[in-house]
Amino acid sequence: MSRVLRDLFRYNREFAIGIVLLAFVLLISAASFVSPYPPNDSFVVPPDLPPSWPYILGTTSRGQDVFWLLTFAIRNTLLFGFTVALLSRILSLVIGLVAGYAGGLVDRVLMSINDTFIVIPLFPILVLFYFVMRDRMSWALLALAMSCLGWAYDARLIRSVAMSLRTREFTETSIFSGMSMRQILVEEHLPYVLPIVFSTTMNNINWSIGLEVTLSVLGFTDINTPTIGVLIYWANQHTALVAGVWWWILFPVMLVIITFVGLFLLAVSMNEYIDPRSRLSRVGG
Amino acid sequence: MAPATAAPRAPAKENGKAEATIEPVLVVSGLRAYFQTSSFGVEREVRAVDDISFHVGANEIYGLAGESSSGKTTLIKTVAGAIRPPLRVLSGSVVFDFRGRRVSVYDSDPQVMDEIRWKHLSYIMQGSMNVLNPVRRVRHSFVDFAFRHIGRKMPEFMDIVRTHLQRLHLTPAVLDAYPHQLSGGMRQRVTIALATVCRPEFIIADEPTTALDVIVQNGVLAMLRDVQREIRSSIIFVTHDMAVHANLCDRLGIMYAGRLVEEGRTADVFKAPKHPYTAHLIASLPRIGYVAARKGLEGTPPNLADPPSGCRFHPRCPLAADICRRQAPPMTWSSPGHRVACFAAATGSAQ
Repeated sequence: MSRVLRDLFRYNREFAIGIVLLAFVLLISAASFVSPYPPNDSFVVPPDLPPSWPYILGTTSRGQDVFWLLTFAIRNTLLFGFTVALLSRILSLVIGLVAGYAGGLVDRVLMSINDTFIVIPLFPILVLFYFVMRDRMSWALLALAMSCLGWAYDARLIRSVAMSLRTREFTETSIFSGMSMRQILVEEHLPYVLPIVFSTTMNNINWSIGLEVTLSVLGFTDINTPTIGVLIYWANQHTALVAGVWWWILFPVMLVIITFVGLFLLAVSMNEYIDPRSRLSRVGG
Repeated sequence: MAPATAAPRAPAKENGKAEATIEPVLVVSGLRAYFQTSSFGVEREVRAVDDISFHVGANEIYGLAGESSSGKTTLIKTVAGAIRPPLRVLSGSVVFDFRGRRVSVYDSDPQVMDEIRWKHLSYIMQGSMNVLNPVRRVRHSFVDFAFRHIGRKMPEFMDIVRTHLQRLHLTPAVLDAYPHQLSGGMRQRVTIALATVCRPEFIIADEPTTALDVIVQNGVLAMLRDVQREIRSSIIFVTHDMAVHANLCDRLGIMYAGRLVEEGRTADVFKAPKHPYTAHLIASLPRIGYVAARKGLEGTPPNLADPPSGCRFHPRCPLAADICRRQAPPMTWSSPGHRVACFAAATGSAQ
């Protein structure tokens, strides 16, 4: 595994750039643990200072240091993305593998639920969810809601692979040797679909971060937990752009773009690595 | 539906291969297994295995021959108890006798069958090259499929696997390889090693050498025979390749359109085929020094969803008489150890 990563880093430029960008983002989010100010305290520094020493990214109109605030924001945003990805991966793996393997009635029931989730419009549902929950809204609840909405496409993808695996000889042999359905799915089929899951995970993180930012900017989330979107929301509330406090908006946006690009490049290079044909053409075979 | 006509017969006492037929390890009687599907209200029944009875003796290699879609694979799947809907068993029984322990495949608890499999009965599936999971190392296939059945501790099991591989002239290093890193012949050998590692009394092999070239095929067959001699198991060997049957099998059953049409000792069947279909199968084999073009049999095997009346071979049979169209010929003994289902066979050899 480490050799694979080293080779990827050396020979795949997308992978190298993606890793460097993500490492940068992770480093910034790790800095939140040594922040001198708690994230929700205001007026701890002079307000509206442009980027300068010691406030390298400037300060907000609420008297917060943009750099340290950003470390908390990106940490929460990443955590959110990973949580959504993890939960929705579990859902899509279980549902996709079971539907593909079991077939028949189980498949039809699961896939009709699946298709329902594919066709319902996500954004209005999430806005509605916010209006129902209101004060009880937290990022954990939003993550849960989004993972319940984000598994459907990949479950269909995994199901299609599982349907083909079901008819292979090694599955027949597993059944003949008396392995239970759970054992067959976990030990024989899961390793087969994992690479697909890895690459869709990146896309899923991107999707969930994007949607979270959108919702937060519009104020449809818990606006007291700093995330990238919440940061932009407060900047808009204080009409930062009109007041000329551009650094309050620019730096969060840049950081989230860096995260997006990094994850996207990782997904692309991962895809290429998983597809043996493009791997071979790279080797020159 | 008519009850099974051919009751399990005591194996005929023969000269020569007496020890092979003392007590049958497998007795199949009156077995019917149909594919029953129903889609959009249309019921369809494909009679892939229709009223088949035969036995396999201890330490015997029993060959099943027939062209594609004659029901060979369905028959042995049913014998192995490895069937899934829409394939269903309608009647008949499959009884194994593992050194005194009688197990009826379709009357036993699933637990009993689970216990039997691999340890006493193993099954090399069709397309045996793909029995190994392509994304897992060969070691895992051994552990996943065979470990639970052998009843030993893990280190001991791995020792057994290594010794067994060496016995089959495979290096134990294959355990750490992925299937795609092995050649076709090696994969086939590994599959056979996988099926025989628990030293089962009965092995069912479905075309285990079909995708191989002749040289490699010979090696794999020799290996299979060596294993069979060593662990003294019985084998049902399925292939459409008559040359392989001639080399390997003690007895031969010929299938046509879901029915057994002829059965006898391999030498007898090749020397004096009784059924016209068998005669055609054998006549289609090339012989050294014989330069005339081989003649194929006209027509194609019948659709098993709507088989012909009477003898299923009559539309293609050069000897077809009136009775063949009306009545299905019963399996009758033409000589000791040689059975045939043909009205014309009563009048002499089909050659």
